[in-house]
Amino acid sequence: MEPVQTSKLNSKVKHESEVKMKKGTGTKALQYALLIIVAIFMAFPIIWIFSNSLKTLNGISEYPPKLIPAHPQWENYVEVLKNSNTLTYLRNSLILIVGNTVGTLISSAVVAYPLARMRFKGAGVIFAIILATMMVPTVTTIIPQFLLFRQFGWLDTFLPLIIPSFFAYPYNVFLFRQFFKTIPRSIDESAMIDGCNRWQIFTKILVPISKPIFITVGVLSAIYWWNELFTPLVFINSENLKPLTIGALSSFKVQGATNLTAWNLQMAMAMIMAIPPMILYLFANKFLVAGMKTSGLKD
Amino acid sequence: MKKGKMTWKENLSAYSFLSPWIIGLILFTGGPIIVSILLSLCKWNLLGSPRFIGFANYSQMFADSEFLNSLKVTIIFTIISVAVSVFAALFLAVLLNFKVKFVGIFQFFYFVPAVMPSVVMAFVFKLMFNKELGVVNYLLSFIGIHNAPNWLNDSFWIWPTLAYASIFTYSTGQMMLIFASSLKEVPPELYEACDLDGANFVQRFIHVTLPSISPIILFNVVVATVSSFNSSFTLIYPLTDGGPNNATEVLSLSIFKNAFKLFDMGYASALAVILFIIVAVVAAFQFRMSKNWVHYDA
Repeated sequence: MEPVQTSKLNSKVKHESEVKMKKGTGTKALQYALLIIVAIFMAFPIIWIFSNSLKTLNGISEYPPKLIPAHPQWENYVEVLKNSNTLTYLRNSLILIVGNTVGTLISSAVVAYPLARMRFKGAGVIFAIILATMMVPTVTTIIPQFLLFRQFGWLDTFLPLIIPSFFAYPYNVFLFRQFFKTIPRSIDESAMIDGCNRWQIFTKILVPISKPIFITVGVLSAIYWWNELFTPLVFINSENLKPLTIGALSSFKVQGATNLTAWNLQMAMAMIMAIPPMILYLFANKFLVAGMKTSGLKD
Repeated sequence: MKKGKMTWKENLSAYSFLSPWIIGLILFTGGPIIVSILLSLCKWNLLGSPRFIGFANYSQMFADSEFLNSLKVTIIFTIISVAVSVFAALFLAVLLNFKVKFVGIFQFFYFVPAVMPSVVMAFVFKLMFNKELGVVNYLLSFIGIHNAPNWLNDSFWIWPTLAYASIFTYSTGQMMLIFASSLKEVPPELYEACDLDGANFVQRFIHVTLPSISPIILFNVVVATVSSFNSSFTLIYPLTDGGPNNATEVLSLSIFKNAFKLFDMGYASALAVILFIIVAVVAAFQFRMSKNWVHYDA
């Protein structure tokens, strides 16, 4: 009797595992299908930009709309890069990115140091203020800032857009603080015994081992300033100082008809603006993801 | 005596490290908030000097149908964008948590819209939702909808358009990442127990996943609310510029127009103060909440 029972049991186990496997492959296929459909949905706007950037203006108004244009118009890109102020806008965007990134990396790291690694009077209050100011929307402080920069004679220059970054953005201070806290304090203590002062500890020991957070904040800052629309809109007037975001808003009208958008050129411009963040993601996704997660999770 | 001197020195050096931030706070955040409050009690068009008028800006504001509309629109926009982006973020995170290959590739597609300039997205949404040229109405014609709405020029249908746009924002991408990592932290024993009971995917999600990550959901809702005040301008200005007929004129747009188009600095400041109060209330709620319900290791 016994051997029969075991074999019965065996076959039952086998049967169950087969069922499980079948169910497994079925579920897997379903999961892949869902993942792919959603990926298409999420990527569609960018695919659509690319598709339309290769059409003629007439091609865009064709019905039904085509996903793959019969005669790809790569000249649209040439025209965008040649005819408008595109290169000037691009230069301005790059100036804003470099200026702000340098400013915020230096100032935010410096400000974060005592918050992460020193005991001093009022530390709690200061950290609370930093967290609170992270939530203040720029639009609520923009009018006095505008008046201040008007007093300085800085309107319609890059200064109001870059100089504030040298006074530490709360978000970035927070990111640096979280990182600095993970480095053991004993490093500081032994350096102090060797006669280093706080500034030397910061510049000679902490900064060199904190490369990842510098990259993270740098990447976030670059993306932010590549996208920034509001403050340049307030502070910049001259055509030759506009960054890409504003430049793209006002350019690309059909010649002779100021109310018609030259969609094909606008889409080519949009594609040009879409590529750098994608490349940045491909090369620095680890840093970008880490930074975005930390700034969402405040302790 | 020596110890006292040491702490004094330590405090001094800490505050010298903090000095850039302190100057920044005075010039660019804290100071401006106080100046805004003072300006909101004045009438000023940038010419001459501000004239003190007491609370006249505020009484004008609450009698103004445009302001009341703007307040209503801000609330509608906030609710829609927060609901859509939190739901979309959770959905995408659940998908990314599947045990399949190529998750990295899928994450690229799900995440990349978040880092796109909103101007770029606005351009393509304008084209996609165009009444005549748009691919959206073309696709709708397949399911028998032939007199599809004029999405961007209809004060009702603009809302579904903005809801759709909210899926492709930085905020959604950020929350997706936060959800994805919190889903990985749900104890596997809970799922095993559930599997023994023969639960299906939906039951597992409702009975195990949701309760385990509920603090994160709540937390994300508040974060998304605060960030929707911050990002509403960048999303709406290039897409609708407040239109059609002020249907999407949120407070941030209204402040911008009053200050930098009409140069009514006093009135714009009063609007800014109102927005600041709204954000402060939400943020205070978040502070309380993160103390009581959410625990993270620093």
